[in-house]
Parts: sequence; structure tokens; C-alpha cells
Amino acid sequence: MNQTLFTQLLDLACGAFLLAAVMVLWFRELTAIVRVFALQGVALAPIGVLLGIRQHHWVLVAVAVGIGALRAGLLPHLMRRALERSGQQRETEPLVNVAASLLLAAMLTLLAYASAQPLVALEPGPASEAIPVGFAVVLIGFFTLVTRRRAVAQMVGFLLLDNGITAVALLATSGVPLILELGVSFDLLLAVLVLQLLALRMQAAFGGTDLDTLRELRD
Amino acid sequence: MLSGFGVVTLVAQVLLVVAGAPLLTGVMRQVRAYLEGRAGAGVLQPWRDVRKLLRKEPITPTGTGPAFRAAPLVLVATGLLVAALVPLAGTVSPAASHGDLIVVVALLALGTVTLALAGLDTGTAFGGMGASREMTIAALVEPTILLSVLALSMPSGSTSLAAIVTGRIDEPARLASPSSLLALVALAVVTLAEAGRLPVDNPSTHLELTMVHEAMVLEYAGPDLALIELGAQLRLTVLLGLLATLAVPWGIATTTSWPALLLALVLLTIKVTALGAGLAAAEVSWAKVRLFRVPELLAGSFLLALLAVTASYFLSGA
Amino acid sequence: MNTISTALAVSGAGALTGAAAGLGLPARIRSWIAGALTAVVGAAGLAAGASALTGRTWSASFPSLLPLAGVRLRVDALSGLFMAVAGAVVVAVAVYGIGYARGGHGPVASRPAQAVLPLFAATLVLVPAASSVSTFLLLWELMALTSLLLVLVEHAERSTVRSAGIWYAVMTHLGLVLLLTGLALFAAKAGGESFDALRAGAHLLSPTVRGLVFVLCFAAFASKAGAVPLHAWLPRAHPEAPSQVSALMSAAMVNLGVYGTVRVGFDLLGAGSRWWWLTVLVTGAASAVYGILQATLATDLKRLLAYSTCENLGLVFVGVGAAGLFHAGGDPALAGLALAAALLHVVNHAGFKALGFTAAGSVLRATGERNLDRLGGLRAKMPATASLFALAALGAVALPPGNGFVSEWLLLQSLIHGLAVPGLTTAIVLPLAVAAIALSAGLAAAAFVKALGVGFFARPRSPQATGATESPALMLTGMGLLAAACAALALVPGVLADPLARAVAASRLTGIPPLTGGELRLRLTDTSAAYAPLWLAAALVVSLVLAGAGQRAWRRRSRRRAAKLWDCGGGQPTPRMAYTATSFAEPLQRVFDDVLAPEQDVNVTHVRESIYLVERVRYTNRVPDRIEHRLYTPLLALFAEVGSRARRLAAGSVHVYLGYGFVGVVALLGVLTVLK
Repeated sequence: MNQTLFTQLLDLACGAFLLAAVMVLWFRELTAIVRVFALQGVALAPIGVLLGIRQHHWVLVAVAVGIGALRAGLLPHLMRRALERSGQQRETEPLVNVAASLLLAAMLTLLAYASAQPLVALEPGPASEAIPVGFAVVLIGFFTLVTRRRAVAQMVGFLLLDNGITAVALLATSGVPLILELGVSFDLLLAVLVLQLLALRMQAAFGGTDLDTLRELRD
Repeated sequence: MLSGFGVVTLVAQVLLVVAGAPLLTGVMRQVRAYLEGRAGAGVLQPWRDVRKLLRKEPITPTGTGPAFRAAPLVLVATGLLVAALVPLAGTVSPAASHGDLIVVVALLALGTVTLALAGLDTGTAFGGMGASREMTIAALVEPTILLSVLALSMPSGSTSLAAIVTGRIDEPARLASPSSLLALVALAVVTLAEAGRLPVDNPSTHLELTMVHEAMVLEYAGPDLALIELGAQLRLTVLLGLLATLAVPWGIATTTSWPALLLALVLLTIKVTALGAGLAAAEVSWAKVRLFRVPELLAGSFLLALLAVTASYFLSGA
Repeated sequence: MNTISTALAVSGAGALTGAAAGLGLPARIRSWIAGALTAVVGAAGLAAGASALTGRTWSASFPSLLPLAGVRLRVDALSGLFMAVAGAVVVAVAVYGIGYARGGHGPVASRPAQAVLPLFAATLVLVPAASSVSTFLLLWELMALTSLLLVLVEHAERSTVRSAGIWYAVMTHLGLVLLLTGLALFAAKAGGESFDALRAGAHLLSPTVRGLVFVLCFAAFASKAGAVPLHAWLPRAHPEAPSQVSALMSAAMVNLGVYGTVRVGFDLLGAGSRWWWLTVLVTGAASAVYGILQATLATDLKRLLAYSTCENLGLVFVGVGAAGLFHAGGDPALAGLALAAALLHVVNHAGFKALGFTAAGSVLRATGERNLDRLGGLRAKMPATASLFALAALGAVALPPGNGFVSEWLLLQSLIHGLAVPGLTTAIVLPLAVAAIALSAGLAAAAFVKALGVGFFARPRSPQATGATESPALMLTGMGLLAAACAALALVPGVLADPLARAVAASRLTGIPPLTGGELRLRLTDTSAAYAPLWLAAALVVSLVLAGAGQRAWRRRSRRRAAKLWDCGGGQPTPRMAYTATSFAEPLQRVFDDVLAPEQDVNVTHVRESIYLVERVRYTNRVPDRIEHRLYTPLLALFAEVGSRARRLAAGSVHVYLGYGFVGVVALLGVLTVLK
């Protein structure tokens, strides 16, 4: 694979990866949000695959395919199931309204670009230049976690954050050790299962998955 | 320099746009009718409407002034001028060196402003309502447009449309770069808003809760209405043409060769028709969003445009 | 004696005789003579400025004219630009003012007002000519004082004038204090108070001191230019002043804030570091968006124009800041372009804003109303004024073929090409600046469509608007001069290419702006971008003719028939049903709800018999200036609190007062003993 094609494909994958994160903020339908998250997984896998092929690092390719299967297949499937059981279809009123969150996401992207400069400067190249994308996704995921009310939207926020971290790891160091990645993926799976359980319990206790209702537990 | 070829290119593309604009609307309505299981009125219907309206008696509603009467002319004139400035068929054109992408955007805005003034000039509640909504949308659209312009003009280092198009033809890698794709998506969203299509405005509604463009032009009748309709169709055509020129520039004549020009005109027709048909097909399944949800849509497109600019820094592209 | 010195002498003499004429002459001819002499002041300023713009310079020093420091004057192309703009505005406004004050009625025709007007005009022309700290401060303060007196002219008519005057007086003098501190510090460290000495000694200052000097001076200049958040006085004082004074303030006086920033920042301090210009750019972008947002929601015509001044000066500061950033980033040609764009916008803004304010003044004179909700239908009653206002609005909305578009186009070009300048700052700030300019242009379109469409079109909404009559010929002549200037700036801006290059060079930016005259054409590194205003205007006319001819060719019947407006079958629509300025801006108010925090109140009174029947609905909507609310009100409250505490010190007893003095002396002696 020649350099130009590699760069172009990598950039496209990174662009789609970032775009998916933004779309999560844009949509209100929870099913659409989950679908976008799955698409982000689809975009994340090629980043690893491309880097692996580039460096003839076949373990990395395998890890990337595994990541893709988990993030684009299993996790969305679990969340969809949680959605079906909860019967909640929309993120009704996020704490920060959609237009404002989109503008804030723009600012977060700029911030990510500015703050990732030292990392990029370490080893300039197409892969490390795309590190800000991962940073931006981390920030956007965190933002989603802070401002969305529904449990599923929060789950997606959490997973976005993790996707972002994975992307940074892939782009900066061309992949994490296999065992670490496996551990993280296992943790993620566990976290999603726990959150799913929590959402079900909340549904049973409060009749909704608005996390603000948890305040009642304080007294 | 006024070369014969350039003048022919200019005249040919303007004539094609003028003749084709009502046909494009006809095609779009026909596609919609087909998908909804109706027979449809035929592709030529918009031209028949224009002819019918032109033959009617000119009407001046009481209390309206010069702005009301001049607006249809200005709307059509800006449409014609934009059709001349955008290198739809060829980059070798005497108009191309007199204005750039920013001028094109500003001319389209001039048409909007004139129509809004005409709406206010009637002094009716509908006219004011339409003008107010149109200007709200127009104001929010501006940042997205200019940022997309910025993103598109960065690789070629110029806002001149001819330079952008030539650059994109010479280096096809620019087309598939994330920055360019994001900018095009952002432009596509604002094109819908500027052309008054779904989901921002519904061109076929006359319900006061939802109409924007139609509310402004409610008092027009006869030949004036014909020009308004033609102006709106021209606007849609040049906007789609601009989008097609930027997204799939292949086929646009960059040299002074007659066969290339002919091919470019044919390709232009195909590209714009395909875009229009696609839009019409998509519109069947879209609903108009509430007026106060439009800012969300535009904030999203603004974000895309800004991402397009930033992506060109951190995604080095080709 | 060359042209400049002659012109300046004429200008000074004109101002003094004008003031004397205003004081001494009887009411019947007072406004004629004083007005004519004001026009002479302006014409002389224009001549001096134009001569300086052709490349001549002139300097002189009059050591005996002022005790201690003397008066130093120097005119170069940069001062020439601002002198020419001020002079041109003064000429047109003076002609307009004669018509406005004719017949000797109204406070603006009174002795003090007519005597102060020529002096104010002269300070506007002369401030850019000052070339020493003391001369500059003296003229600056004279300008502030004369304008303050003129703002207060109509204080007997409206109580709001007084509060506007107090705001203006306080803020302009706070600005003077900052300026005095900054320039005095500069002069002390540089070892001389003439501008030559400052220029030569600027490198002796440590970077911190230089930064401090710049921040102090920029705060003062930004406040004069109405930049957010130091704008609070502007939307009060400009609307409350008599209209020709508003025009002078909004089109000529605010420019001097820009002049000061460029002169001190680039010329005297030698451009300095990146963060200075980042501050200027961000301030400018914030003023542009905030100013025009307030203008969009304003219902008072003159307040709308005043807020639009904040916006346009904000755009100018964006250009100035970008010039500084590019200079610091090592791209002098682009820096020159950005500064040229900013200066061109100063010129264009002066043209359309003076026209806008004078037209608003005509409306005010004819109807006594500034509230857009109560105007309307003026295009039938005052056709000339309405078309002149339309021309001003075309300039203000920054759309072709208006003159505002030319400079905004240049500004955008400089920012777009600025992305090539290396540096993280430019990469992040420039796209946001482009977005801010675009948003302000879009909102400006909404604001001026509202001003023109609601204020001048449709039908009259009040008896005052119904009874309006066209202004006298002299007022129309004054406005016509401004309109001609706007048209010339819109169609052949290329003639300014060389003068602008000279003005940029005079600001000691090394880059020559890559502008070509004739049509505006940019020569930048690889490809050129062009905007040919004259060609575009001609093409627009041709297209209009084509569209009209096409319509005519197909038309069967040519006689227009009048018909009723569509009334939904409910009888003819009354003017009360028409959209007002408030309702026009309502969607935008809702969109920017979080930024503006408007105060709305709906009061429903029910009929006594049943709660289902409504007797009256009262709706109030107020959009307070939020920055003022959040920033100034707490500050003022704090001062008031401190003041009322301090009153306790003044107990009224003579013994206590003497005691303060005694304690003071003893404490001072004690401190001195300890320190030794």
C-alpha cells in the first residue's frame, strides 16, 4: 500500500470517527444514537487495521478486528436490548440544549487540537497528526456523560470516551499490548452489563431512566 | 480578455440554467409524485405555469411600494448573475475573474434580503411573518457558508471558484479528503436552508404555522408571481449546480475546446438532475422541522464546517 | 506653506470664527453662518487629509502656544486618512445641520449648541494631527468635552438625555485617565513626550511595561470606539444626541479610537507581541457579534444604528488585530492587507453610518418618533429620505453592490489567506473570527431589513408617521453628499488602493498590501482573487434589464390594476396587524435567548364575571444590555455602597475634620520615621 493511499484512507476513517461522535450529540432518538455509536466502531476498526497492515504488525490487525466486533456489534446489541426493555425512546431534555452542545463540541475540538500539539510534535506523521481526533472524541464523550439524562445516552458517552482513548492509543503508539486491550474490552463489557442492570432497576424503581431521579436516593 | 469561447461558455451555461430551472422543478415534482403513487403533472408543468402567469393581468396590491415591485426582478437578476459567476460548464469564462465564491454567496443573500423587504412592504401579518422567519434563518446560515468556503478554498489558496474547481479536477485526492467531504455536507445542509426546501421550509405549504418563503410572496400574482417562481427555481438550480460543481467537478471544461464544452453542458444537466431527483426522493421521507428546531440543524452544519476547517490541519490529507 | 498647513490654519480659524458667530449672531442667521463655517472646517480637514494621502507629510512645532510643553503637529498618510474621513463627514453633516436647525427653533439652534459645533468639528479633524502626548491629550479632551456639551443639548426635552450625559461623561473621563496613565508611563520610560521621542525610545521599555502601556491605551481607545465591554455609553449617548451630532460621533469620533490603537500599537510601540493583537481581535469579534445582536433586537431606530456602530468598529478591530497577528507571525504583506481592509472599513462605515444617522434625524424631525413600532409608511411621505436610508442600509448589510461589502470582502480575504501563517493561535482564532464576521453580517442583514422594512415600508402605524413630510432641501443636500460618497466607495474603491497602501506604510507595518486599483484584485502567492464592484454593478443592471425585458416580452396585458390585499375574508388589514419591529425580531430573540436573557412579562386581566373571558392582555418585552447588567450594575452598586459608608466619615463636626488632618500628619511623620 503506498503512502498516499494509506494517508487518505486513514484520514477518512478518522474523519468518520470524529463525525460519529458529533452525531451522538446531534440526535435525540436513542436508537439513532446507538446506531451512530455502532458506526463509530466500524470507523475505529479500520484505523487499527490500516496501521497494522502498514507496519506488518498482524497482531494489531487481529486486535483491531476484535475491537470492531465488540464496539460495532456486541455493545450496540446489548444497548439496544436495554432500550427495548426500558421503552425510553428519546433523550427528551438534555441539560445543555442540542444547539449549544453542538457549538460546545466545536470548541472542544479546537481545544483538543490545541492541547494535542506537543504529542503531535513528538513524531510528525499521518498517524500522529490525527491524534487530536482521538482527544476530541474523548472530550465529546465526557461532555455527553455530563449533560445527557438518559441512562443509555450516558452509556454511549462513556463508550465514546473509551473509543477516544483507544484511538489515541492506536494512533500514538500503534496499538496497545494485546493483553491490555483484552482486559480493557472485558472491563467495558462488564461496565455495560452493570449499567444495563442499573437502568433496568431504575426503570423498575422510578418508571424512567432519567438519572436526575437518583437524587431522591440521597435522603 | 473577451475571448469568443469564454462568451459562448457564459451564455450557454446561463441559458441552460434558465431553461432548465423550471424543468428541474418539474422533474423533482414528478419523482415525488411517482414515489407517492400519483401520476404527476408532467415535467413541463412549471414552464406551463410560468407562461400562464405571465399572460395574466399585472396586479398591484394597495399600499405596496417600489420595493414590492422591484423584488421579483432583483430575485431573478441575482439568480442570473450567480449562474454566470459559477463555473458550471467551464472555468474559462469572462465572468469568473470578476467575482469569487464570497461574491456568489453575497448575491444569493441579496436576493433573500430583497424578498424579505418585499414581504414587509405589503404591511400584512403574513408578509412580516415570512420576512422575519426568512431573515432569522438567513442570519444563522451565514457562518456555516463562510466556514465551508474557507475550508474549500484552503487547498487552492484562493476563494476564486475557477481556481477551486481547477484544483479539484487536477488533484482528485482533494475531493475525498475529510475536510472537503465535511465542508460539502455542511454546504448541502445550508443549501437546503437557502433554497427553502425540506426540512427547513416546505415549498408546497400554505399553512401559516409552517410557511416561510410562501408567506413572503403571498401577495404576488400574475407576471410578478411568474418571476418569483422562476427566481426561486433559478436559485435552487444554481445552488444544486454549485454543489455539483464542487462535489463532482469532472467534466467541467478547463480548456478552450468546443467538444469539452458540449460534454460539460451535458454532464451538468445530468449531475444537477440526479442531485435534484435524489433530493426529491429524500424529501418524501422527511418532515419539516419546527422553526425553533432549525437553529439546531444549522448549529450542526456549522459544527461540520468548523470540523472541516480543523480537519484540514490535523488530517494532513493527500 | 504647503497645502496641509494652509488647510489646518483655515480649519482652526474657521472653528474659532464659527464659535464666535454661534455666540454672537442673532438667531435668524446664526445657524447659517455657524453651519457654513463648520463646513469650511470640514472641507479644510478633507483637503489636508487628501493631500497627506497623496504622500506629503508636514510637521510643525509651536513651543510657545501652550505652557510647558508647546504644541506639536505632524500629518502623515495615516493621520491624513482619518482627517479626510472626519472632514468629509463634517462637510456633509454641516450642510445637513443648517437645514436641521433652520428657522432657529429647537435647542440645537441655540447659541451654545451652534458655538460648540464648529469647535467639535475642528477637534475631530485635528486629533490625528497631534504628534506629542500633551497635544494629543489636550485635543482628545477638548473633543470629549465639546461632544459632551452637544450630547446634552436637548436635556430639557427628555430626562434620558441627562442620564446618557452622565454615563458618557464618566466613561470618557475614565478613558482619559487610562490614556493619561498609559502615555505618561510611556513618555517617562522613553525619555520624551513627542511622538518622535516615543518612537525612538520604545525599545528602551521592558516587554512588561510595553504591554502595560498598550493595554492601558487600548482600553481607552476601545472605550471611545464602543468596543464590548466598554461600550455602555455609546448606545445611550449616540441616540440621545441631536441627530447631526450623532452622525459626527458615530461616523467620525469613534474612528479615532481605531486611529489611536493603530498609532500607538503599530507606529509608536512597534507592533509588540502576539497577545496584544489577540486581545484586540477577540475584543473586536465579541463587539461585532454582541453589538449587532443588540441592534437586531432594538426598536429605537437611533439605538439600532448606535449598536451597529459597535458592530462595525468591532469588525475594524478584527482587522487591526489580525494585522498584528500576521505581523508577529512574520507575514508582513498579509498584515498590510488586513490593516488596509480595516482602514477601508473605517472609511465605508463613516459613509453609510453618517447617512443612516442623518436619515434617522430627518425621520425624527418629521415625526418626532424614533420607535420603529410606531413608524412605517414613510416611503410614501418622505421618498427621498427613504431611498437615502435604503442606500445606507445597503452599505450596512455588507451585500453587493453596497460599500460595506467591499471592505468586508477584503477583511475576509485577509483572514482566509491568514491560515497560511504558521502558529497555533492563527489556526484556532481565524476560523472563529471568520464565523463571527459571517454571523454579524447575517444579523446585520436582519437588523437593517427590519429598520428599512418596518420603519419606512408598509403603512404608518401612528398619527405622527401619517403626518410626516419630506425634509427641506438643505438636509437632503447634506445626505446627498454622503450618498454620493457611499456610491463612489461602492463602485470604484480601487482608487483608494494607493492611499491605503500609504496609510499602512505610515503605520510602520513593512508590508505593502497586495491590492491593485481599478477593480479590487488581490495578488497573493499563488492565485489571485478578485472582486470587481463596477463590473458587478453593471452586470446586475444588465440582468435586471434582461429579467424585465423577458417579462415584458411574454406579457399580454401591460396595464397594472390595483387590487385589495388578501384579507382572509375578514376585511382590509389594518396597520395594527402589520409586523412590528418587536415581532420581527422575536424569532432571533428566542434563538439567542441564552445570550440575551430578555425579560418578558404577560399580564392577563380577566373579565369579572368569568375567568374564561379575557378583558386585556398586557405584554411587555425588554432586552436589557446584559453585559451592562452583569458588569456595570454590581460595580456601581459597590461604589454606591462604599460611598454611603464613607459618608459616615463626614460627621459634620469641625473637631472631627480637624482631627482627620491631625491624625494624617502624625501618621505620615510616624511612617517616615519608621522607613528611615
